[in-house]
Amino acid sequence: MAATKTEQKVAACGDWTASIRRHARLSLALPSGLLTAPELFTATALAACEPVIEGMLDTEERYTRADAKRVYYLSMEFLVGRSLENNLQNLGALGAVRQALAEVGGDLEAVLAEEHDAALGNGGLGRLAACFLDSLASLDLPGFGYGIHYEYGLFRQEIDNGSQREQPDNWLAYGSPWEIERPGEACQVPVYGSIEHAQDAQGNYTPLWLGWKLLVGVPYDFPIVGYGGQTVNWLRLFEARASQEFDMEIFNEGDYLRAVEQKMESETISKLLYPSDEVAAGRELRLLQEYFLVACAVRDMVRRFERRPQADYADFAAKIALQLNDTHPTLAVLELLRLLLDEKGLPWEEAWRTVCATCGYTNHTLMPEGLERWPVALLERVLPRHLQLLYEINHRFLAGVAERWPGDVDRLRRMSIIEESEPKQARMTHLAIIGSHAVNGAAAVHSELVKTVLVPDFYALWPEKFHNKTNGVTPRRWLLTANPGLAHLLDEALGSGWAADLERLRQLEGLADDAGFQASFAAVKRRNKERLAHLIADSARVEVDPASLFDIQVKRIHEYKRQLLNALHIAHQYLALTEDGETPPVAKTYVFAGKAAPGYWAAKQVIRLIHGLADVVNRDPRARDWLRVAFVPDYCVSLAEVIIPAGDLSEQISTAGTEASGTGNMKFMMNGALTIGTLDGANVEIRDQVGAENIFIFGLTVGEIAAIKASGAGRPAGDSLHDAGLRRVLDAFDGDRFSPGARGRFDWVRRSLVDRGDPYFHLADFAAYRAAQERSAGEYREPVGWWRKAILNVARSGKFSSDRTIREYADETWGLRSVHA
Amino acid sequence: MNIDFALSSGVMLAKLLARRLDATNASDFKVRVGDRIEASPRYLVLDLAAIEFVDSTGLSAILSVLKRLPPDGVLALVGCQKPVAELIKLTRLDRILRLFATAEEAVQALAGG
Repeated sequence: MAATKTEQKVAACGDWTASIRRHARLSLALPSGLLTAPELFTATALAACEPVIEGMLDTEERYTRADAKRVYYLSMEFLVGRSLENNLQNLGALGAVRQALAEVGGDLEAVLAEEHDAALGNGGLGRLAACFLDSLASLDLPGFGYGIHYEYGLFRQEIDNGSQREQPDNWLAYGSPWEIERPGEACQVPVYGSIEHAQDAQGNYTPLWLGWKLLVGVPYDFPIVGYGGQTVNWLRLFEARASQEFDMEIFNEGDYLRAVEQKMESETISKLLYPSDEVAAGRELRLLQEYFLVACAVRDMVRRFERRPQADYADFAAKIALQLNDTHPTLAVLELLRLLLDEKGLPWEEAWRTVCATCGYTNHTLMPEGLERWPVALLERVLPRHLQLLYEINHRFLAGVAERWPGDVDRLRRMSIIEESEPKQARMTHLAIIGSHAVNGAAAVHSELVKTVLVPDFYALWPEKFHNKTNGVTPRRWLLTANPGLAHLLDEALGSGWAADLERLRQLEGLADDAGFQASFAAVKRRNKERLAHLIADSARVEVDPASLFDIQVKRIHEYKRQLLNALHIAHQYLALTEDGETPPVAKTYVFAGKAAPGYWAAKQVIRLIHGLADVVNRDPRARDWLRVAFVPDYCVSLAEVIIPAGDLSEQISTAGTEASGTGNMKFMMNGALTIGTLDGANVEIRDQVGAENIFIFGLTVGEIAAIKASGAGRPAGDSLHDAGLRRVLDAFDGDRFSPGARGRFDWVRRSLVDRGDPYFHLADFAAYRAAQERSAGEYREPVGWWRKAILNVARSGKFSSDRTIREYADETWGLRSVHA
Repeated sequence: MNIDFALSSGVMLAKLLARRLDATNASDFKVRVGDRIEASPRYLVLDLAAIEFVDSTGLSAILSVLKRLPPDGVLALVGCQKPVAELIKLTRLDRILRLFATAEEAVQALAGG
């Protein structure tokens, strides 16, 4: 087979040394001589951009020639992380660049570490979007991302005396070598204004949207390199700018400052990523951000559609699929409808049919704060024309419901997009379901809960719309790149190519009992733990022993994820050790990392509590040989790439029925950690894949929790408090045991768990969690059995490749076909 | 704002000689065109070929000109650049105005009709 242009270009760039030197001189204007690591990073990334951009143009030509259907993935978050290593890995150029850098006096690892994470996301939802883009490109699928070019990504977390402090994350302070600014493809986006009621020449009612303020969305493209480098797709992020440099009238009046202020106000829209749904709820700026994204994206995709030789809108849904990553981009339903009706002149029925056939919606949360509602009054002020359309959609939809269930007024009230509350609110989840042809949850158990608990009325109406698409993670970043030791071992055992076909890992099952393979596997894990131990020493100032069991919980800090349950158990173990003389079966290092939303008091208290525990446990000579606790600050993608490969035990302990899927659980499994977890989210499927004997499942099930809630019996706090160990832990938090000199600092634990009813069932699950912990520690003492289980976890993780998820979406939701080079 | 007016086959042509129609000159535009409407025929063609930027105030000014035409009057726009045409469609003004590529086409259609 002839080499593609990308391959030729990689070969032409074979002299990476020369290319890096050329970019240092001509792109960065640096004199010859020794280059610093930051300079080498930029020069290397620019050198890599040559084959990458060539590949992007090549790919676009291929898609255009094939007149391929395209999917556009709309997401408010893309948690990309670093790109250089991933791009070089996918290009197959990592080894060559390592050598080239050595020739110019650089070190690959040091250069890679210079890249600032693109932290344009809060956690799982944004990282999933980034994994999906990787899989789309790796499968040669025409799939692209649309998002916002936030000036400030998720805040940087600093720990000050055990408490979280937020610092702005100016990820673009030194620019990004990957982004391509496209001012020539800017989009005009009107917001605010009012409807003027007019009639056309035939006397038809013609609402006019006037009085708006105009924003401009300037696109920045980030190339997404697929594994093998054959396909390079893109992620397009829009930055908001004012429509004019200054409002000339104000400027002419001499009020320069006010003119600049207006400009700044417009540009605020893409300034900042909201650090959580709770913080964003009801905020006008958030609504503007969401509309800004969908308005730019819809215009852009329509413009691309119209570039085709025969752009007939009857073919729109055959050529375009649009996926809504949670409810945040749901306004795309209204925006596409408005554009087809108002700008393209389609009749309502055809326009609406096209919208529904084009859009798909993924629900990501059952948590109330994730279910967006917008006050109708706010919508009317910001998007008056869209509100008109929303009313019309609702009117037509409810007429259909009334026909199906005559006289069922309560059902109409429950299903209406408009919630007749005070103030009136628009339920975006309902709009997303009504305006999409396919609705899915992110794991099997979650998808069932969507149907049975979240929106059972909609499931009764359209059972065929509801599907499951269990999340996945890209093995290129999370195994091949993050865990080079294990990747090398897999290459030796299985040959290359497993990263593009993760089910091949199954072949490892035959090696699970092989003593030599076990030894190599254990050696890789040991090196990864040593690497993490160094990082912990540097960043958390805690010395940990790589020979101890690394028990890791890294994820956003949230009550439902129950870092507190983990902390209760550590406190229990510490007290049992120091007061009862009970030594644990193995020495353990508990590692935490994660950010709390800045306004989320309870989550921030959990961070403080973990630090309180760490201070006491790590200093106590009676405990320090057995227990260590470390909180690694500023959790981000690049940190996760160091932490996850070092995990022995993966904490996935959310209250059953609260976590949609989780993806950290998959990453740990893929890297040979055993899971301790509840039957929540994708843990259920992890258990099904790996076998119940290779995972530590504990706790109340979704059904049991539902039964307790339905019985109205409240939380069985009283029963749990018969447990002397648990009582002692709560007493210790009430006092100053973990807050020397600050008695009562952690008495909120009892208030939350006992007095306020423990909505996340910490107390009810404590005994089962403790037992599961004891089981896992006991098994860790038997290395042969442990490594067997760890190897089987890797071997059976194939299902959790995002390639599998994307194939399912492509086949079942998008009708998308690969366009191979 | 400078505007060139011309009468052709009973159609008043107004060519806007500015690069923008926005809050800075919309009032002036309304006054100057409005003065001509008093004495003009019922067909008015605005040539926007020179206009690179229009804001909501500019479009509202065009709408107010339409309202000053007699009930059977017609307002046509010609020569709209792409960003201007986009906003006219977005506001749906194209539903109550008539759009032509050139002034000649507009005059022909209106004088003929």
